[in-house]
Amino acid sequence: MLENLHYFLIPFTNWEVMILIWAGVFCGIWLGAIPGLSVTMAISLLITFTFSWELNNALAMMCGVFVGGVYGGAITAILLNIPGAPASVASSLDGYPLGQKGQAGMAIGLCTTISVFAGFIGVLCLLTLAPVISDFALRFSPRDFFLLGCMGILLIGSIGGGDPIKGITVGAIGVLVSMVGMDPETGEMRYTFGSVNLMGGIHFVAAMIGLFGVSEALIQFRSENIEAVPQNINRVFPPLRLLKKYLPLGLRSSVLGVIVGALPGTGGDVAALLAYDQAKRTTKNPEVAFGEGAIEGLVAPEAANKGAIGGAFIPMLTLGIPGDAATAVMIGALFVHGLRPGPMLVLETPHLFGMIVSMLFIAVFAMGVLGLLSVRPFAKVIEIPKNLIMPLVIVLSVIGTFAIQNSLADVVAMIVFGILGYFMRLYKYPTGPLVLGIILGSTFLDQNYRRAMQMAGNDLGTFFSGFLTSPLSLFLLIFIVFMLFSQTRIYRKLRGLE
Amino acid sequence: MPDATKSHQTEEHHASESHSLAVYVAEKERQPGERTFAFLLILLGAFGYYFALDLSSDSYSSPSVFPKIASVVILAGGLISLVRAYKRPLAATAQNLLSYLLPKKVLMLLVLMVLYCLALPYLHFPASSFLFLVLSLTLLYRGRHFFRLCLYSAAAVAILFLLFRYVMLVILP
Repeated sequence: MLENLHYFLIPFTNWEVMILIWAGVFCGIWLGAIPGLSVTMAISLLITFTFSWELNNALAMMCGVFVGGVYGGAITAILLNIPGAPASVASSLDGYPLGQKGQAGMAIGLCTTISVFAGFIGVLCLLTLAPVISDFALRFSPRDFFLLGCMGILLIGSIGGGDPIKGITVGAIGVLVSMVGMDPETGEMRYTFGSVNLMGGIHFVAAMIGLFGVSEALIQFRSENIEAVPQNINRVFPPLRLLKKYLPLGLRSSVLGVIVGALPGTGGDVAALLAYDQAKRTTKNPEVAFGEGAIEGLVAPEAANKGAIGGAFIPMLTLGIPGDAATAVMIGALFVHGLRPGPMLVLETPHLFGMIVSMLFIAVFAMGVLGLLSVRPFAKVIEIPKNLIMPLVIVLSVIGTFAIQNSLADVVAMIVFGILGYFMRLYKYPTGPLVLGIILGSTFLDQNYRRAMQMAGNDLGTFFSGFLTSPLSLFLLIFIVFMLFSQTRIYRKLRGLE
Repeated sequence: MPDATKSHQTEEHHASESHSLAVYVAEKERQPGERTFAFLLILLGAFGYYFALDLSSDSYSSPSVFPKIASVVILAGGLISLVRAYKRPLAATAQNLLSYLLPKKVLMLLVLMVLYCLALPYLHFPASSFLFLVLSLTLLYRGRHFFRLCLYSAAAVAILFLLFRYVMLVILP
C-alpha cells in the first residue's frame, strides 16, 4: 500500500506526463462532446499515434482521453439529447429536459462538480482494492482464466440491452478472426490460405478502428444532418446550496457505480441506469418529476458512471477483463504497449499500477476544471455539423491504421471491418464483443484452454471434472451460467419482468 | 390533478424507457436483409469449421479445437438468429433491400473511401486525402459552398499532415 502510494506520487512530479493528462482530458471532453465521436473511437485512433511514445506518456494521454471522453458524453446528452457514450444514456432522460428549460449551464456545472467527487471515490477504490484482488487472482489456474475470458465476452454482449445470442455469436466471430495467422504454440498456420499478409494475423487495432471509427461514420451518413439548437448558457458554477443538497445522492450513486463497474462485464452504462433507477425509487418528493428535468435524475447516473471509471479499471487491470467497449479498447492499448493486464501487472509492476491510478486521479481533477471552463465553448462546438466531421474521421482512421505497421494491407482490413461493422449495426449486432474476441481469442482464451487441457492430460473427463472439483472454477462456472440464465425469458418471467 | 396525471404518465413512460435500456427486449419486426445476414453467419461458421478440419487435431489441446468451438458457436448463433428472423414480420416501414442497406449517400461515400485507399500508394497522403475530403464534402453538401469546402479540406489536410508527420512522427502513406 505504502509502496503504491510512492508510485502514486510520481506523475505529480513529471511535468510532461502532467501536460499530456490535461491535454488528453481536454481532447477527450471535446471529442466526447461532438455527436458521433465517442471515447471508444478516440482511444482506438489514439493507440496507433502513441505507438512510438514512451509508455508513461502514452498511458497519460490515454487515461486523460478516457476520463474526458466519459465526461464529454454527458454534455451532448444534456444539450442535444444525443448521449455521446452509452454511459450517458441515462443522463439524457432528465438532463435534456433540464437543458430545454434553459438550465443547461447549472445542470452541467452541478454534474461536473459531483462527477469529480464520484471519480475520486472510484479511483480510491481502485487503489485499495486492485492489489487485494490481484493477490487473490494468483490462485487462478489456466482453467479459471479460460472461464474469465469466456465470461468477459459473454457479458459484454449480453448486458446493456442487446440480444445475448447476437452478442455471443459476434464474440465467437472475433475469436475466429483472432485465430488467423501463426499458432503461437505449434507454429502451425491457421486460416491464412497461403497469403503472406495473413501470416502475422489480423491486427486488432485495424479491426477496432474499422468497427468503431469507419462503421460509425457510415451509420452517421444515413441520417440527415441535424442542425443543433443554439443554447443559452449563463451560470456555470453551481450554488453551494445545490451542491450540499445533491452531494449525498452523488456519493451514494458513485459507490454503486464503483461496485457495478468492478463486476466483470458491466461498465458505466449499466451503473448509470441502475443509479437512475435507484435515485427514482429512493427520492421521496423530487421538486420536479423524474423524466421532466429532475436534478436527482441527472446527478445519480452521472456520479455512477464516473465512479464506474475507477471501478471498471479494477477487473481490467487485475483480471484482464473489460467492463464495456471503451475499457476493451483500453486493454488493447495496454497490449500494444507490451503490458499484459492481469494479476501480474499489479504485482510485478506496481510502479505502473500506481502511476495509472495517479493518472486517473489527475485526469478526474482536470475533468472538473476543464469541464467547468469549457461549458460555454461546448455550446458552440456541438453546433458543428457532423457532415464536416465524419469525412475527417475516415481520414484519421486511415492515418491511424497505416501507422500500425506502415502497411496498406491493414488499411484494407480496416475498411473490411468498417463495412462489416456497418452491417452489424444495421441489424443490431453489438461490435464490442467482436473486438474483445479478437483481443482475447488467440492469446488468452485459446492459450489458457490448451494449457488447462494439457494439465488435465488431454482427457476430456478430467478437464470437465476440474470445473466441479475446484471451488473457484465452480464459482465462476455458476456465475456464467447464472448470467446466461438471467438473459432468458424463463428468468424474466420468474422475476415478473415480462 | 390533470398535471399530476400527466407527470405520472411521463414518469411511467420514462420508467419503461430506462427499464428497456437495461434488459434486452426482443425486436418485434425484421429489417430487410436480416435473414440473409443470419444465413451468411451460418456460412461463416460452416466455412470456419470446414477449414479447421485441415488443421492438426491429434489431441484435445491441438490448434484445431478452438477454431472448431468458435465455428460451432457462430453456426448455432446464426441458426437461432435465422429462425427468429423468420418468425418476425417484415417491418412496415421497410424499404427495398438496396436502399435500406446502402442509401445513395452511404454507397457513394463507400465508393469514395475505396478509391481513396486505392489512390493512396500513387498520390500519397496529402493529395489523396485532399481529393477525398473535397469530393465527399461536395457530395454531402450537394455541391453548395464548393470553394469554402476546398479551403476547409486544404486546411484540414495541412494541419493533419503537420501534426502527424512532424509533431507525432507518424509515417503517412
